[in-house]
Amino acid sequence: MALNTFGAIMGFAGQVAGDALAVYREALPKVKNPDLRGILETLAREEEKNCALMEQARRENVTEMILEPVTGLERDSYTIDANLGNGSIDSDFLKAALIFEERAERFFREASAKMPVPEVARIFRKVAKKKEANCIALKAVDLS
Amino acid sequence: MQKLKNYVNGEWVDSETKEWGDIRCPATGEKIAEVPYSTSADVDKAVQAAREAFWDWRCTPPMTRMRYFFKLKELLEKSFEDIARTLVVEEGKTLDESRGEVRRMIENVEHATGVTTMMTGYNLEDISQGIDCTAERQPVGVFGVIAPFNFPAMVPWWFLPYAVVAGNTYLVKPSEQVPMTQARIFEVVDECNFPEGVVNMVHGSRDVVNAMLNHPQIAGISFVGQSSTARHVYKVCGETGKRVQSLGGAKNFLLVMPDADLEKGMPSIMTSFYGCAGERCLSGSVLVAVGDVYDRLKEKFVAASKALKVGNGLVEGVQMGPLVSQKHMDKVLGYIEKGIREGAKLILDGRNVKVEGCPNGFYIGPTIFDEVDPSMTIAREEIFGPVVSIVRVKNFDEGLKLIDNSEYGNAACLYTTNGCTAREFKYRAGASMLGINVGIAAPMAYFPFGGMKGSFYGDIKGHGREVFQFFTNTKVVIQRW
Repeated sequence: MALNTFGAIMGFAGQVAGDALAVYREALPKVKNPDLRGILETLAREEEKNCALMEQARRENVTEMILEPVTGLERDSYTIDANLGNGSIDSDFLKAALIFEERAERFFREASAKMPVPEVARIFRKVAKKKEANCIALKAVDLS
Repeated sequence: MQKLKNYVNGEWVDSETKEWGDIRCPATGEKIAEVPYSTSADVDKAVQAAREAFWDWRCTPPMTRMRYFFKLKELLEKSFEDIARTLVVEEGKTLDESRGEVRRMIENVEHATGVTTMMTGYNLEDISQGIDCTAERQPVGVFGVIAPFNFPAMVPWWFLPYAVVAGNTYLVKPSEQVPMTQARIFEVVDECNFPEGVVNMVHGSRDVVNAMLNHPQIAGISFVGQSSTARHVYKVCGETGKRVQSLGGAKNFLLVMPDADLEKGMPSIMTSFYGCAGERCLSGSVLVAVGDVYDRLKEKFVAASKALKVGNGLVEGVQMGPLVSQKHMDKVLGYIEKGIREGAKLILDGRNVKVEGCPNGFYIGPTIFDEVDPSMTIAREEIFGPVVSIVRVKNFDEGLKLIDNSEYGNAACLYTTNGCTAREFKYRAGASMLGINVGIAAPMAYFPFGGMKGSFYGDIKGHGREVFQFFTNTKVVIQRW
């Protein structure tokens, strides 16, 4: 499905943050590795903020004058398979977190280039940068 | 079924009327509420409440009055999404468009809180030896707005916050076609606990309008609607000694120069013609192709128009919603018929657009006429729908002449990459709201909104800094001690 309006993009941005938050919250009580738990706690807090930020950005930056059609962004290209399986092994949680962070990094980076509202494009770029750093942090976690 | 009430003297009250109108959802055609066609007695009660409240409110320090609006802003933010959705359901525009409208409404509340700067007068010592002079702005009394259907949330708030923060009291008459949004907003107003009688709302139709125009205790009227009514409102207010700002209709031209960047400009050209289904006074209506841009422009514009997604505004991804009512849809269809009869070439026909799950909605898809002569009805009259007339002109001057010859003078836009042409356009175009590489030339809360010629009757336009002049009387005091 095409993300062809400001509202559709913002709705999906909120969903990207919300999906990740749900997974991090589910994983947190089960994670054994303290380093991974620490990172997931940070990510969960970050996604909580992102959910609120996306809602606020949608509400405050909608400018009727420049509600222009958007082309070239498809919801389907950000579909992910992040099945936690039994959800009991730390490596599964780590893998899922990486998938969510990489998806978010790619979405916010690509959407920032299409977003017709400069302030929201700036917010997207900032989130994408954070997600990039999160991916590096997750890849550095040693579960052995 | 929701039966709407009036809001008078800080309470929700029933109208005395026995006449009611149906409110229908434009996306589905379903009846969703009933609105009272209130009587002149209902109006009088509201005006008396506003009169009673005036003196105490006028004596309330501006900072205190301002704080009500700070609180109101916070409460409106909390109800933002709910108001926007109510607007979609009763008016038909898309959720994005509705959110944009509610945002602009709130921006007026925010801007009005600058009263302590914008309402100040001025003074000069020694206008004669030992004699000083001050000019002080004072509130006047009861003001009212008669609002149109196309921006049910925003338009009353182009005026109300400025009038009330300046110390006046107020009466809103929402459009009888779309009264639910303002009713929802007044629930928020009620939460805000303004003193009783400071803000009031009476629903209704022609009788309410006439009662407001003729009421001796209403000091001024703000009107937005079609030009014939705007002219009538202006005339009656003149006869009854009221202040008046009367905003009428439009026929807006978009000039596209051969040097225009079509790639960059096309999204905003699309928004101009099809945003809010063309039901706004800033919408583009005539696409003027200057010189050899014609073929390229037509090809790109028609392709983009065909790709536009029409549907129920609540559905994600929908880019254009239905028209407001069956009656209005019939009027727009009448213009399409007229265009065909007068010899314009229909190259995109939106009349048979089908929206899944909404067989009874009031939908017309993007419609484009080519080979339109400026003398044709569709090139001259306000259509207020997604119907575009393409007119070819040889050069820039010929394009400007089209704007000048129009009986309206609301908005006009130019697409160019040439600064000199842009400057000429700004200097000479006969319309009051101009867009240069912008398709919707919408002044924000802090700039004045209104046209010229047949698009505006009055002196002081909506919002902006000047609006405080409309809502205050300048008293000059000359003193010697």
